[in-house]
Amino acid sequence: MATTAAPSSRGESPRGRSSRGRSPQPDDLSVTRSRAARRRPDGVSYLFLLPAIVLFTVFITLPALAGAFISLTDYVGFGEWRFLGLANYAVLFTDPNVLQSYGFTIGFSVVTVVLVNVVALVLALGLNARIKLKTALRGAFFLPMVVSGIVIAFVFNYLFSTSLPALAATLGLTGLEQSLLANPDLAWIAVVLVTAWQAVPSALIIYLAGLLAVPEDVYEAAALDGATAWRQFWGITLPLVSGYVVINTVLGFKNFLNAYDIIVGLTDGGPGTATRSVAMTIFTGFTSGDYAYQMANAVIFFVLTVVISVLQLQIIRRRGVSL
Amino acid sequence: MPTAPAPLSRRALLRATGAGLATAALAGCGDPTSAAGRSSVRFFQNKPEVIEYFAALVAEFDAAQDRVQAVHDSSQTPLVPQFVRNAPPDLAAWNYNLEVGGYVSTGVLTDLSDLPEAQRVDPKYQSLVDQFARNGGETNVLPYSVTSAGVIYNARLFEQNGVAVPQTWSELVAACQTFRAAGVTPLYLTAQEVWTLQQGLFDYCTGSAVDVAGFFADLRAQGTDAGPDADVSFSKVFAEAAEKMVELASYANPDSASRAYADGNLAFGRGEAAMYLQGPWALGEVSKVDPALPLGTFPLPMTEEPGQAAARVNLDLALWIPTASQEQGAARTFLQWLMGPKVIARYNDDNLATSPLRDAAPLQDPRLVGLQPALDAGRIYQGASTYVPQSIPVGNYLQDAVRTGDGGQLLRRIDEDWARLAARSAA
Repeated sequence: MATTAAPSSRGESPRGRSSRGRSPQPDDLSVTRSRAARRRPDGVSYLFLLPAIVLFTVFITLPALAGAFISLTDYVGFGEWRFLGLANYAVLFTDPNVLQSYGFTIGFSVVTVVLVNVVALVLALGLNARIKLKTALRGAFFLPMVVSGIVIAFVFNYLFSTSLPALAATLGLTGLEQSLLANPDLAWIAVVLVTAWQAVPSALIIYLAGLLAVPEDVYEAAALDGATAWRQFWGITLPLVSGYVVINTVLGFKNFLNAYDIIVGLTDGGPGTATRSVAMTIFTGFTSGDYAYQMANAVIFFVLTVVISVLQLQIIRRRGVSL
Repeated sequence: MPTAPAPLSRRALLRATGAGLATAALAGCGDPTSAAGRSSVRFFQNKPEVIEYFAALVAEFDAAQDRVQAVHDSSQTPLVPQFVRNAPPDLAAWNYNLEVGGYVSTGVLTDLSDLPEAQRVDPKYQSLVDQFARNGGETNVLPYSVTSAGVIYNARLFEQNGVAVPQTWSELVAACQTFRAAGVTPLYLTAQEVWTLQQGLFDYCTGSAVDVAGFFADLRAQGTDAGPDADVSFSKVFAEAAEKMVELASYANPDSASRAYADGNLAFGRGEAAMYLQGPWALGEVSKVDPALPLGTFPLPMTEEPGQAAARVNLDLALWIPTASQEQGAARTFLQWLMGPKVIARYNDDNLATSPLRDAAPLQDPRLVGLQPALDAGRIYQGASTYVPQSIPVGNYLQDAVRTGDGGQLLRRIDEDWARLAARSAA
């Protein structure tokens, strides 16, 4: 079948032009067929999807379904087990440790998302301006992203436990002589700071890309109208990068809800249970023989994450941006 | 240009490919093959400090006979997945804890009671196995190495301040006050790492005050009626011990909340504190800092009657053979060789531990001999925290208790968690 025939008059029409590049130009007889072909993609594209579908199904979907079933039992992974129905779920909602971990994780995520976005946007504005050493500074700010979370956590653990109190003692700053990490009311601040320190670079990259997309001429027009830098930021920059704010919020929130490695290295959930995240609580199920119960916790967490994601996707659609 | 295949056949292709991939993925697990007519035994032992020791031991065994070939598996692979895949090791030398107790009670380990070696184990050590779990009248686990722990003390600071090893609770408190008055930190705690609080402060204080094994047997028998107000509860039985525990913790270094295990070893090795609540594993680390530092160990006294303090013991290594092993006979042969009096004595002498066999030699190391009287008298206990499933974060609660000085709240939280766990397990 020849599809390289010269474009027909229909092919020149605006409609035909708009579809160019998406599919081969239809020859004169195939209007209906080409529509059908557009609706039902080529069989080859399924073949390309196949490895991903198979891997995703075998390693994500099936284990997740198995986990959801196990959450209805008292199975520990081996040996005999009984079907419990929703008993695990019933206990879950009365377990203060589980409830506290949800409270901490959600609060921590909200605060961290706000902090990361504010800091990243400010840094992006700075790094986007005409300054010296721009490339070197960008490199320096991206550095935390390539260091593993657990390494960062251990380094900051030492700084918070040893260096900072020693410094405070030398400077006579009472109140900072005790480690932040040892104070159950303040330890979350340390967790937020360290998580933000690592998370800012990836948000920064997205904001830098966003700022590059803002055309220069709108600023020139604003300057001619006598707008101050502050007014330009609120009136031009922020509205034009708002799509990127949404993206950073969605991606960041998803990551922070799953917080694990930095907290383990920093506080290990302490002092007491003050900074135990949901992911850490779920993970205890693997070591404590509490597998089925924490699977129930994982299912609840999954539902919660889905609800939050759907809400965020709604916002994204309304904003007209795509991930 | 390819013609699109019919939808049906495409789906069939997808299905066939999926099935093929799944089969290929599952075919990875093979059977261990025995080499040259010798039965091969996968021997699972991964305690990092003694991997080399056991590697040499396995080589010695393999050279000594030609029927069984032991293969040393020192990987850190968790055990649960091995049981899940129904491919556990043929023989394991592993720490005996609640997890292994779970294997005992679910019946996935073989009965070893007919072996002559099982009869040679001292009943007071064999009973430690039963305290975590039982499977009828079977003997599924044989103790191999018993480590004992107490309060490590700086003998030089004790001498300089005229303090004798305390025999009673009052003497212990008086010793703390003497040290404090002399400007010496009485006790070094490393509260940032919760396990150190659990095995030291909590286990020592409860172990010398309460019949730990009896308490947990009663607690389990009580079933779902658990809770702070139940007949058998932490809040009732451990109340006095918890009060004394937070009192003892008040004599600790002021920065204990931000100190970790490694900080503790360093500080204690530098002579910055008189007492340290750690096990024998810390002795080597402390001595690395100052090899000349004279150290000793005594069981923590909790009553007013001298000679009542007990030592915390732990079956650091115990041997067991899973029922799923295809090489039962060969595994037993190697187990019997490992349990030989000379082999087992050599290991324990080398590792600051006690052999669990009857009439075993006493502890030799001067840093540990202070615990021998308690061992001889059978005043031993497995730490209370080791009976509590890990789903109850005792260590984190302890951290709070040390900070706030509220021992009662600690016990209430454990009771409430225990009640929830019991309700869930029985549902």
